[in-house]
Amino acid sequence: MDSPYSCNRRQRMVGRRDFLWELGGGLGGVALAAMLNEAQAATGPASRNGLHHAAKAKAVIQIFCPGGLSHVDTWDYKPELTKRQGKPFDTDGKVQFFASKPGNCQGSYWPFRQHGQSGRWMSDLFPQLAGKVDEMAFIHSMQSKSALHGPAMFMANSGFILPGFPSMGAWVTYGLGSESADLPAFVVLPDPRGLPPGGVINWGAGFLPAIHQGTTLNSDPLQPPLQDLFPAKEFSHLRGDAEKSSRDFLGALNRAHAETRGANSELEARIGAYELAARLQLSAPEATDLTGETEATKKLYRLDHADIGTFGRQCLLARRLVERGVRFVQIYCGAENTGAKKIRPNWDSHEDLVRDHGYWGPILDNGAAALLTDLKSRGLLDSTLVTCTSEFGRQPAAQGKGRDHNSGAFTAWMAGGGIKGGSAYGSTDDLGAKVAENPAYCYDLHATALHLLGVDHEKLTFYNNGAKRRLTDVHGHVIKPLLA
Amino acid sequence: MTGGSTPTLSMQRLNALALLLLNAAVLGAAVDFDKEIRPLLQERCVECHGPKKVKANLRLDAKARAFKGGESGPAIIAGQPLKSPLLQRLTTTEEDQKMPPKGAPLTAAQVAAVRSWIEAGAIWPENEVERAASRDPRLDHWSVQPLRTEFGQAKSIDDFVAAKLKSAGLTLSPEADRRTLIRRLSFDLHGLPPEPERVERFVQDADPKAYEKLVDEMLVSPRYGERWARHWLDIAHYADTHGFERDQLRPNAWRYRDYVIDSLNADKPYNLFIKEQIAGDILAPTAPPSVIATGFLAAGPWDFVGHVETRSDVLKRAARAGDLDDMVTQVMTSTMAITINCARCHDHKLDPISQKEYYGLWAVFAGVKREDRTIDATEQNCYAADKNRLTKTLSDLNSQIAQLSGQGFELASLLPTESGIDYRTGKITKEKQGYHSGLPVNTLQKVDQVPGVLAIFVPDGKGTVLVAANTPVKGLPATNGHTWDAIANRPLNAQESTKLNGTDYKTKGHTILGMHANSGITFDLPKLRELSHQRTMRLTGLVGFGAGAAAANSRADFTVYVDAELKFQKLKMRKNETAALDIEIPDSAKTLTLVATDGGDGIGRDLLFIGDPKLQMSGAETKLTPADLKRLTALRAEAKLAEASLAKLTEPAKVYAAVPQATVAVIKINRRGNPEDTGAEAAPTAFAWAKHAPVAFGGNELPEGARRLALAEWITHPENPLTRRVIVNRLWHHHFGQGIVATPSDFGLGGDRPSHPELLDWLAGEFQRNGWHLKPLHRLIVTSSTYRQSSRTTDTKATNLDSANRLLWRQNPRRLDAESLRDAVLATSGKLDLTQGGPGFKDFDYIEAYAPIYNYVSPDKPELWRRSIYRFIVRTTPHTFLTALDCPDPANLAPARMRTTTAIQALALSNNEFMLRQATHLAARVEKEGGNRSAAIRRAFALTFQREPLPTELRAAETLVAKDGLFALCRALLNANEFAYLD
Repeated sequence: MDSPYSCNRRQRMVGRRDFLWELGGGLGGVALAAMLNEAQAATGPASRNGLHHAAKAKAVIQIFCPGGLSHVDTWDYKPELTKRQGKPFDTDGKVQFFASKPGNCQGSYWPFRQHGQSGRWMSDLFPQLAGKVDEMAFIHSMQSKSALHGPAMFMANSGFILPGFPSMGAWVTYGLGSESADLPAFVVLPDPRGLPPGGVINWGAGFLPAIHQGTTLNSDPLQPPLQDLFPAKEFSHLRGDAEKSSRDFLGALNRAHAETRGANSELEARIGAYELAARLQLSAPEATDLTGETEATKKLYRLDHADIGTFGRQCLLARRLVERGVRFVQIYCGAENTGAKKIRPNWDSHEDLVRDHGYWGPILDNGAAALLTDLKSRGLLDSTLVTCTSEFGRQPAAQGKGRDHNSGAFTAWMAGGGIKGGSAYGSTDDLGAKVAENPAYCYDLHATALHLLGVDHEKLTFYNNGAKRRLTDVHGHVIKPLLA
Repeated sequence: MTGGSTPTLSMQRLNALALLLLNAAVLGAAVDFDKEIRPLLQERCVECHGPKKVKANLRLDAKARAFKGGESGPAIIAGQPLKSPLLQRLTTTEEDQKMPPKGAPLTAAQVAAVRSWIEAGAIWPENEVERAASRDPRLDHWSVQPLRTEFGQAKSIDDFVAAKLKSAGLTLSPEADRRTLIRRLSFDLHGLPPEPERVERFVQDADPKAYEKLVDEMLVSPRYGERWARHWLDIAHYADTHGFERDQLRPNAWRYRDYVIDSLNADKPYNLFIKEQIAGDILAPTAPPSVIATGFLAAGPWDFVGHVETRSDVLKRAARAGDLDDMVTQVMTSTMAITINCARCHDHKLDPISQKEYYGLWAVFAGVKREDRTIDATEQNCYAADKNRLTKTLSDLNSQIAQLSGQGFELASLLPTESGIDYRTGKITKEKQGYHSGLPVNTLQKVDQVPGVLAIFVPDGKGTVLVAANTPVKGLPATNGHTWDAIANRPLNAQESTKLNGTDYKTKGHTILGMHANSGITFDLPKLRELSHQRTMRLTGLVGFGAGAAAANSRADFTVYVDAELKFQKLKMRKNETAALDIEIPDSAKTLTLVATDGGDGIGRDLLFIGDPKLQMSGAETKLTPADLKRLTALRAEAKLAEASLAKLTEPAKVYAAVPQATVAVIKINRRGNPEDTGAEAAPTAFAWAKHAPVAFGGNELPEGARRLALAEWITHPENPLTRRVIVNRLWHHHFGQGIVATPSDFGLGGDRPSHPELLDWLAGEFQRNGWHLKPLHRLIVTSSTYRQSSRTTDTKATNLDSANRLLWRQNPRRLDAESLRDAVLATSGKLDLTQGGPGFKDFDYIEAYAPIYNYVSPDKPELWRRSIYRFIVRTTPHTFLTALDCPDPANLAPARMRTTTAIQALALSNNEFMLRQATHLAARVEKEGGNRSAAIRRAFALTFQREPLPTELRAAETLVAKDGLFALCRALLNANEFAYLD
């Protein structure tokens, strides 16, 4: 199945307004979500029943920790590594990491403990998430095809190490559309410190129609939530009623224009887009206004804390967006490797892991744990899939006081909609250097997430330059042991 | 045969088999294939293993296919019935393996016949039907067939289109009115709206050839090349930065963009245009445009970290693999619309293109890299000769000056010959060392073994750094805190060059102090005064890189302190730069500190060294004879002049383009596309599916340039079935919003079939007849009645029959692409700057960093009002306004623009600062040009819609303007559908 829309709807649409897209987009089924409200009308049933099978989750919140989160200091318990502390890692002297020759074995900088009914191990860096292990499912055997931030970020997001491919959020909205009449279907909340490595094309639509690209939401409370939501400063008088006569004039002009061009119904879609834009001016500020949240909620996300609070705010916004029908929310916990002065602006802890992971740990811990608590208490966790990943892991061998990149092993976790809490899949070798059992790639994570959304990853395709492209390329398996 | 491998048969079953075979042997005798075997195969096998179904990819209806076999290998092994899966499957008792799966099993006699036939050599006389059946039907695909040259009665575009319409019972729509035509033509050929005055002149023109005159006028305008270059750059995925994590600037890429514009404006024959872009540097190495043309091969993204920064060879090979794939894909899809990249991991799934052929194309480009390069070799040689001469002169003068003014005291020679100071211990070491990443930074390592040296250290430049006891300094650039080797009285470990400005410091009479970034050394000045017997001193020496060509992009800094005072600093020095030191040292100074740092881009290749670091005795000349003193003054003046001339030399222009490498890597097939799992060598080839010319270009001994030239000739071969079809279809696509083939970059089996195959070939023939010039082809298309049709016809019959308008019963209405819309806004407001060519305008603030930052700035500056084609395109930070309007990511080859309709677009056009400012400018313009309110409104309509307002529109506009001013009107007009769409 190429088109995510039912046949009768597609027939109705073809020849009415989408023919120009077909020209521009090639011959594959172009999702017809011309406008967000249309998308809802089109996909309401699909999202409930899934596109290819019944869905467990209807929304996704993905937490992305760019820079390379160290699995051996956090999620992946490696007692043997601690035992070999200070012993040579590479006795042949042949191994060459991304930036360095391996140093000696370096055990976790934080002690590990078992938690919950499931007895999953987690390090003391994440005391609050440790209390959530029975909600979480771990993939300890994640690998990436690149140990470079740029390509690995693209891979984690789109399945390809080159730029230009649609990100997971774009594929999901292409497949399922939006549940919200007046919010974008795919929203991204970058770290307020800056964009992640590779920039905004991490949430690009690639060759999919631009409507599927992630819409960047500014989590700074002092800024408008969306780019160009309102006129720039000097034009701030152009708001509300002051706009009415202009809007009416434009509407009349456009309607008269369309009447004499009956064959081009794309014109009608564009009139609708302007009406929706006007609605967004109300809905976007409403969705991002936290004043109505209770003190308890604000405390839960620690909004008052200078560092923890900014990520807390991103997580809280994600919950509010999902509540309002947004399909896919991506939150970045970390920015680009820019202007590193003291603490690195992301998880890329080459020179001082205790300093950098020590800073980022509590931020991720509080935000992610609060999000799970909040979603659960509102009954949203069952229908919301939460995932957390990085583009790769870090080496068990020391690089001074830090660790170098490791594309051979890292851990990702999932929770919520359709996930079996307390479960785990795959493992790494004794030191956490490479995957030992059940190797996995982002393809498998993506296939599993799509499966929970009711989408068969092999059937969600789009024709581009000679190939029916998929999010999972020619790979990907649903990781069944992690499903509830 | 379905199922997997041949089953292992149990003993019991083997017995049963033996029994059967025994029976067969009894029958013995020669078997007539046509009488006994062929009917049997036809009757019992071919239903599933024939033309209709090809289960397990095995066909038993044609000799070649039957012997080739299917998924489990050959089905018939002549002379060996027991080893032939065909017989095994007939005789096995395994239910799921047994053939045929349906109906009664074969009789013992039939099985015996098969056995005997195989045993006797499986003689299969092939007939004509089989020969046809065994031919790969993909070879008959329309696009690789020779172009038609006979077209019957048809002599024009309209003949072909009308004939097809007629057979569907349809006709062309009437011609559009002149206002519509001039607007359509202007946006199509120029990407800009026509001036209202030109519209009126055209509308009033009584000349029946008024339209043709207009077309000719537009085709000679330079706006044409600017417009059509956008289409070509879309399929070249051109941008002005590298992309990926460290998205650095390509300040010289624009020359290729200008080459495309100029070539189109000059109507360069398309075959030459292609040849130059693939191998211009070989075709005409002394012609700058020809060299610049190879910017095409370099236009796509490139990962600095993967190619240069990482120390891992695996990662480097992966980056190079991506690079070659990008080059090959770009060249083959743009010129021949073949999706060659599908053959990277396996043979192409749809088109008959093998993985071997794909890697053969890698071999064509195996010797080129993307880099800044010299354009004009002569100019470059002159420059290099001048530079050499001047540096030699300067060096001679300096040595004469040194002789007169005293030899000075050599700092490098404080250390024993060929030794260094170990960063870890501060002790003298003879050992050449490697990468130090874990050393304590900003920590003075005391040096006891070298009199005159107090300490060494690894700076990280963060905050204050102690260079000696109680001597904290500020102003050191931040570094990554790593270093390499030691501070040494010798070239550094892995140092590739010891020459600076023409002097080789390795030769006798010279010294080298190796200081790889990040390193610092502090000298003890009182001790040096004592050792040198000099009091008043100057530090002299020349700092530079001892690195090879690979360090071209590497940066490093050098800083000198006397006590805590910063005396000298050169930041972000490049490999081709040097820094001459000449620093006065006060008599009272206690310490002298030299610091090499990494330029903010890591320490890779920062092989800094100082040639002839010396403390010269200042004032030594007071003891000279008046004659010598006079000579010294004259020498110094001469040296100053030489220095000034050297500084005035400007390096010749460069372009970011293809750079041939001295050695060409041998390409091996990457199994499953994995560069770490290589197979057989691949020699330079094209693919044999297009059979107009030989595809093997030679072995791997073929020189680099000859490979690209061979491919360029192959692509532009007059008989190449694809190249001409592809380009005429691209033109058609942009003139109709839809190609004759709707997938302009895929003419393979996965792509569209032509709606008018004869027309496509006829156009390709006309194109060739016109010497591969594009302008006559444009003229042919836009002067046709087909092009000039109205788009507004509401013909319900046609809509029902052909809603997609593949038969062209009307012109297609089209929305402006992002760049045309932006340019149209500027043209309308009167602010468009039509300056042609040169470096792109940067509508962002650039902040140099590990990963450079691009912050878009207010668009309300006249220098940012040039046409969009001249925009400096940043890969990682796309322009949000243009992206909202479907401007593609330059990572992708974009043969066609998307046209989406979103609320985000509506917000961008309503509220983006660019739109609001330009609406303000438009309001001011119409107010000035109109005079009164009603005239201003009419002027605004003429500028935006190329027409007068209707009376109702005029009344509504008057009301709006009275209430909210002309700005409100202008903003609405720029947001209107009529502005954004072409009829």
